[in-house]
Amino acid sequence: MSQIELDVRNLKVFFSTPQGNFLAVNGINFQLHRGETLALVGESGCGKTVSALSILRLLPEPPAKITSGEIIFAGRNLLSLNAKQMREIRGKEIAMIFQDPMTSLNPVLTVGQQVIETLLRHKSLNKKEALKISAQLLGKVELPSPEEKLKQFPHQLSGGMRQRVMIAMALACEPKILIADEPTTALDVLIQAQILELLENLKNETGMSMLLITHDLGVVTEIAERVMVMYAGEGLETGSTKDLLDSPHHPYTKGLISSRPHLGSTREKGQRLTEISGSVPSPHQRPTGCAFHPRCDWSTEQCKTQKPLLQTPNQNRQFSCHLQPGSI
Amino acid sequence: MTDSPSFLEVRNLKKHFPPRKIILQNNTAPVRAVDGISFTLKEGETLGLVGESGCGKSTAARTLLRLEIPTSGSVHFKGKNLASLSETELRNQRKEMQMIFQDPFSSINPRRKISDVLREPFVIHGFKENISEAVVKLLDQVGLSSDYVNRYSHEMSGGQLQRVGIARAIALNPTLVVADEPVSALDVSIQAQIINLMMDLREKLGIAFLFISHDMSIVEYFCDRVAVMYLGKIVEIASSEEIYKRPAHPYTEALINAVPGIESGQQKQKLKVRGDIPDPSSPPQGCSFHTRCPLKEKQCEEMEPNLKEVASGHYVACLLKEG
Ligand SMILES: Nc1ncnc2c1ncn2[C@@H]1O[C@H](COP(=O)(O)OP(=O)(O)OP(=O)(O)O)[C@@H](O)[C@H]1O
Ligand SMILES: Nc1ncnc2c1ncn2[C@@H]1O[C@H](COP(=O)(O)OP(=O)(O)OP(=O)(O)O)[C@@H](O)[C@H]1O
Ligand SMILES: [Mg+2]
Ligand SMILES: [Mg+2]
Repeated sequence: MSQIELDVRNLKVFFSTPQGNFLAVNGINFQLHRGETLALVGESGCGKTVSALSILRLLPEPPAKITSGEIIFAGRNLLSLNAKQMREIRGKEIAMIFQDPMTSLNPVLTVGQQVIETLLRHKSLNKKEALKISAQLLGKVELPSPEEKLKQFPHQLSGGMRQRVMIAMALACEPKILIADEPTTALDVLIQAQILELLENLKNETGMSMLLITHDLGVVTEIAERVMVMYAGEGLETGSTKDLLDSPHHPYTKGLISSRPHLGSTREKGQRLTEISGSVPSPHQRPTGCAFHPRCDWSTEQCKTQKPLLQTPNQNRQFSCHLQPGSI
Repeated sequence: MTDSPSFLEVRNLKKHFPPRKIILQNNTAPVRAVDGISFTLKEGETLGLVGESGCGKSTAARTLLRLEIPTSGSVHFKGKNLASLSETELRNQRKEMQMIFQDPFSSINPRRKISDVLREPFVIHGFKENISEAVVKLLDQVGLSSDYVNRYSHEMSGGQLQRVGIARAIALNPTLVVADEPVSALDVSIQAQIINLMMDLREKLGIAFLFISHDMSIVEYFCDRVAVMYLGKIVEIASSEEIYKRPAHPYTEALINAVPGIESGQQKQKLKVRGDIPDPSSPPQGCSFHTRCPLKEKQCEEMEPNLKEVASGHYVACLLKEG
């Protein structure tokens, strides 16, 4: 397999808030290979964004605190770098597209001012060169009439266009890793398809690696080579996308796959969807043992008390469950 | 269409809003949010309304329930023109026409206990007796234990609260429920629970649904028929089986192709739509989809297509389908 670009080991993120203290991320492990797209999927609150922000050290500390783990990038542990060293990596080596494009663009600056500022932060260019590169970048993300767009304000653009601007800014310094946090969730399906295609093309063109955060397994199949399924701050199952979706080993993965109706699957009248019972646990009340056990059809006494260890049935698959592979 | 009055009949319904004031732009044209839609719904039937953000789905729903006054057009419910009803008559009629909203956290008053939220429909309509029993029964029908009566919305999960939203909608035995994106704010694992609940209630209570969604897979699964909206107009309407097997409008086909997913792999290359939705205050001349349509011809820029029947019960508004 290709080289490891980013190695996240046993990452734990603790929050202390007036409502209580909790672990938002509880010991996750994953590796991002050079040139691949790895998807982090999971439901709201499972710790996807917190994991991503930890990599860039952008968590608000306090209330957050990274209490254990290592994040290895280019031979260095990002968690032991100082603020200045981190600034050099952020945006230049590892860039991020944030979950909410409206709040991450400045409403009182033009698109051009914002793209240029990003460029100047990491590159020594004069104003004129920066302007030219900015227009090229907007062209690269397929925004029509880029010169004109540079003069406009964010609110004058549609949601899809704003997301393209965000992507252009993230790509400004040709990062090695792009972290995209729900880049298409707020967009309509037609625009979503365009953005996914764009990200895929850009990734292939530049050879960068992508960490894609989503809750949509459809999006995962579309562009991710590998996927890690998260639940309550833990990685429950990791594997190559096709393999994992064809034969999930973890009951939660299986539940996620089968609870969605698939387009074109002929529905028998009145046939119900397969559901996962119960609801997502709040981080303040993490269940004992396996975090998924209260909602699991296969749950046993052991699951209630004992946290399952990570099983590695083959080199490409990891999952954390007391069941044997193939028993669901 | 049969001779007997339809359960619900919407004729050429329009809702235009006054011009938007946007900084740096001089806008004088009204927003044509809903621009002449017609359809019928049979008793107990489920019609899906799909289309991209801003195409007018929510406005259509609100206008047909008369929560907004239509600019023109009519809505007949069980043979009665809603516009001709007095306030009292309309309020009575509303018992039968209910709505479920997208975001239960904003549609349910956070300062009131769940029991009060569920008592409200009974109180408004002048019921006095056995309300508490009715509330407990409602909770049971939507799969919540009676312990929830004393809770507030912030003490519940999104899925639980959407169950309350559904309970409130079915309180007065409606025959029509308009559900506006009822699962899109919910977690993936909770969506199936809510869809199943609505299917059970639909079967048990014989409710007709107008189901608004942008999720093509869920619409196919839940609906008998599907209407596709674009810029305030219905561009295609057919049974859900027909529309997914044989989409006739390029827009419908593009929507289906664009669903990211496990099963839709092989048809991916076919139709790709570029660009954004035009501004509904200045829709394009001719066919409103021509600015994005990959199959556009010269005539599409000039002539406006009307809905034509291309197969039994399958209507499409596309000049290319008018042989
Ligand atoms: N600044 C913060 N202060 C307190 N709690 C936080 C903060 N940021 C995140 N959390 C909590 O940490 C947990 C994980 O949050 P995170 O944002 O990573 O979820 P997510 O998987 O990205 O969810 P979503 O799909 O909704 O974006 C949640 O319970 C969240 O409420
Ligand atoms: N009260 C209003 N005043 C002015 N314009 C409005 C009003 N309500 C809706 N609109 C506009 O009418 C159009 C249709 O809006 P509507 O909310 O019906 O769309 P929708 O299909 O429900 O979209 P979404 O999928 O985002 O919910 C949009 O351009 C919207 O901005
Ligand atoms: Mg998030
Ligand atoms: Mg809407």
